[in-house]
Amino acid sequence: MMKRIGVFVCHCGINIAETVDVKRVAEEIQKLPGVVYTQDYIYMCSDPGQSLVREKIKEEKLDAVIIAACSPNLHESTFRKAAEEAGLNPWQCEIANIREQCSWIHKNREKATSKAIKIVGTIVEKSRLNESLEPITVSIKKKALVIGGGIAGIQAALDIADSGYKVILVEKDSSIGGHMAQLSETFPTLDCSQCILTPKMVAAGKHPNIELMTYSEIEDVSGYVGNFNVKIRRKASFVDWSKCTGCGLCMEKCPAKVPSKFDRGLSTHGAVYVPFPQAVPNKPVIDKENCIYFKTGKCRLCEKVCEINAIDFEQEDQLIEEEIGAIILATGYETLPLTRLAGYGSGEVPDVIDGLAFERLLSASGPTTGEVKRPSDGKVPKEIVFVQCAGSRDPERYMPYCSKICCMYTTKHALLYKHRVHDGQPYIFYIDIRTAGKGYEEFYVNAEEDEGIIYLRGKVARIFRDGDKTVVWGTDTLSGRNIEIAADLVVLATAVVPNESTAELVKKLRIQTGPNGFLSEAHPKLRPVESINSGFFLAGAAQGPKDIPETVAQASAAACKVISMFSRDHLEQDPAIAWVDEDLCSGCRICISVCPYDAREYDEEKEIVTVNEALCVGCGSCVAACSCGATQQRNLTDSQIKSMLTASLGGK
Amino acid sequence: MAKVAYYPGCALKERSSHLDRSARDATKILGFELDELDSWTCCGAVPPVSKERVMNLIASSRVLKSVRDSGRETLITICDFCYNTLKRTNFSIRNDEIARKRVNAFLIDDTPEREYIEKDTSSWQDYTGEVNVVHLMEYLRDIVGYEKITENLKRSLKGLNIAAYYGCVMLRPYDEIQLDDPENPSIIEDFIRALEAEPVKYPYRTECCGSYLSVSSPDASTRLCYRILNSARENGADALVISCPLCFYNLDSRQKAIIEAYPDFKPVPILYFTQLLSVALGVEYGRQGFEKHYVDVTPILDRINSSSGNGGE
Repeated sequence: MMKRIGVFVCHCGINIAETVDVKRVAEEIQKLPGVVYTQDYIYMCSDPGQSLVREKIKEEKLDAVIIAACSPNLHESTFRKAAEEAGLNPWQCEIANIREQCSWIHKNREKATSKAIKIVGTIVEKSRLNESLEPITVSIKKKALVIGGGIAGIQAALDIADSGYKVILVEKDSSIGGHMAQLSETFPTLDCSQCILTPKMVAAGKHPNIELMTYSEIEDVSGYVGNFNVKIRRKASFVDWSKCTGCGLCMEKCPAKVPSKFDRGLSTHGAVYVPFPQAVPNKPVIDKENCIYFKTGKCRLCEKVCEINAIDFEQEDQLIEEEIGAIILATGYETLPLTRLAGYGSGEVPDVIDGLAFERLLSASGPTTGEVKRPSDGKVPKEIVFVQCAGSRDPERYMPYCSKICCMYTTKHALLYKHRVHDGQPYIFYIDIRTAGKGYEEFYVNAEEDEGIIYLRGKVARIFRDGDKTVVWGTDTLSGRNIEIAADLVVLATAVVPNESTAELVKKLRIQTGPNGFLSEAHPKLRPVESINSGFFLAGAAQGPKDIPETVAQASAAACKVISMFSRDHLEQDPAIAWVDEDLCSGCRICISVCPYDAREYDEEKEIVTVNEALCVGCGSCVAACSCGATQQRNLTDSQIKSMLTASLGGK
Repeated sequence: MAKVAYYPGCALKERSSHLDRSARDATKILGFELDELDSWTCCGAVPPVSKERVMNLIASSRVLKSVRDSGRETLITICDFCYNTLKRTNFSIRNDEIARKRVNAFLIDDTPEREYIEKDTSSWQDYTGEVNVVHLMEYLRDIVGYEKITENLKRSLKGLNIAAYYGCVMLRPYDEIQLDDPENPSIIEDFIRALEAEPVKYPYRTECCGSYLSVSSPDASTRLCYRILNSARENGADALVISCPLCFYNLDSRQKAIIEAYPDFKPVPILYFTQLLSVALGVEYGRQGFEKHYVDVTPILDRINSSSGNGGE
């Protein structure tokens, strides 16, 4: 008996209806055999829209429904749930995408309408042969992995751990803390960054549910949501941390001089070092590149002075494997290197520094213990120029986007400078001042009106050294005049860019990034803390430039998603995946070689290849490769594809 | 000897013919000949700036097409303005379909008069940007190689501090020219180093000399040239080397007005890059046309004499 099919055509407000004649689509589809009911409606996804689907399934005794609307990525699950509520098997509900693949990309109403009819007709053909399926249930490993130990990773790890689940927090540097540990004071309240961060670092270090793995990197991730297998490389620190008490004697005696990454090159430390005194864990590592022993074969001074024999030059990288249920990516940001900014001195002018370096100059624990002294000669700068949007909002040469945090931190910089150097004059070049945040505008207005900071609206063309001055050429677009300032120090608010290691990591994880390398969220508004790849969640500046409050909020949100997932007993997976007709399979194993997910396994006994249903995502590679037609995709069989092709080409 | 198609341009045929001569002399020593096109017209000079997509491109397109039709791929220029105009026209022809169609439609109508450009009886073939427009400075860097220049030096310029001046059109717009980083270039400094002189870096090396303002508001150009020259001098330059006849005119001749306006100013000798190359490769000073310069270059030449120990004259 022929299936009774119902088709519902959505207007999506005017998104579809403006370009596609939805009434005609409904009329034409009604003519197809088996289509017993059609209806158009302004918002199918709304409550009345869904009710309509439910009612008609019952009234018209429908065996299958098709919703002609937006992409299945958006509302397939919505409508399948509605269908299920009306007693239909969810896999008897299909989406025909006439928005992203039709109305949004076409202008000609006539042609778009006829294309929409073909799209829906194609799905009608698919629908005829769809089977009722049951979801595949998989278990969940209730242990989370957080990658990145900045404030985002710390917050996410703490939230998950507090709810009772185990967390592994992986950080590539030897200490957690990230960029926030480098900051002096934070806008708009000017509370000291260390004072609010270090207690959280300590809490993360001590939490019984958090396993801290610093100086470690992700080597490989396989598996799937709920059941990831993660390989973590613990880099050799050449210090046995289980013995080390963190006394610091080795660091004192080490004769090597290495520019401190933490202090942005404004100070040096030995080849055996902790990045900063408040490090968690407070254990040193030996920097192999710069260690005199590793370079020349002589020295080993640290080994001689260490009374508990914690130095171990023979130590090797360790590979640790873990089973993980969900992964939070909190890999953070970097700033555009000064060397990229050719017009601003290419990093060759000593008194041109970036915002993070200025944070170190302002920090009480920094290289100048909080006194503002310029790098070239240690003098206190009397005139200081801040340049915003250095590499941001510049699509032709650098980054097209707004780095978001610079307006606020530059105002903070100028303010803190004034607090330390009362007779100093700060200038700020800006394009626009963007202060959208609680208390932000007030903070800026106060700085501009009461603190004597001179704001100049315009871009800086060139920065160069002239004697002991650093000359800044800019323009003030409000007065229409060109400005030349012979400054003592220049601070560039360089563009926020994704952390270097993010690009490599996303390749290993096979997750998506946007055009500028920031991690992509599943939906920009409604799923902002999830990756489109299930089981991956996003936190912090790795997803886009963010300040601390926003980062912490997103980290907690990501943690909450993980907790909600862990609160379930099992996960349900789409059963529309590959299956094997055992009678047809010749055991040739082509499918094993083409499967990107290691989901095909050879059964020695039966001499056939089976499908691991937990690993298969239904990509179809093996179906296409199978030479004897033994492998088929559920609800997308060869015969379905054939009749869909015929329909899409306008045949019958 | 290998021949490379060469487009001298207007300035080098007239007012600055000595620069053309120095380029021909130098390249012969380096093993190739600048083969001037049989017939050529003005490149159009400024028009590529205009958004109009036919008339401003015609003059250069004719030149480029004649090079293509003669079976050659590379066209060398030694003037920044010609380089900019020809290269940008070529860029439009390559990348802008509408411009390509319009220009070819115009050129095909123009065919009866094509003999004015070059005798051509072959069947019509649209010009689609096949020619590569190359600055001699670029050819020296990429094809000849700086090592070969250094090997052929007859007079080392060791001990001379020379400042490069880039001007505006040699490097910009970057998307179309792609010769070097317009904000922080190094091609002329590398060239100076190949001649064993010491390049002087100074902040004004990519700033404007005033270009055609020299005609309409000479005072503005005087001020700009003063800043450039003074900055080069203060950073220790004995001379300035440039690659554009208009910059040459501004930076050299304008020093008369600069001295009047800024009494503390000390003149800076200006050399075209082909002159410097030709001198270093051993061509006699008499062929360089130094007498046409406003600022006396003798102090520089004297120092080359004394440092290398073989005068030349």
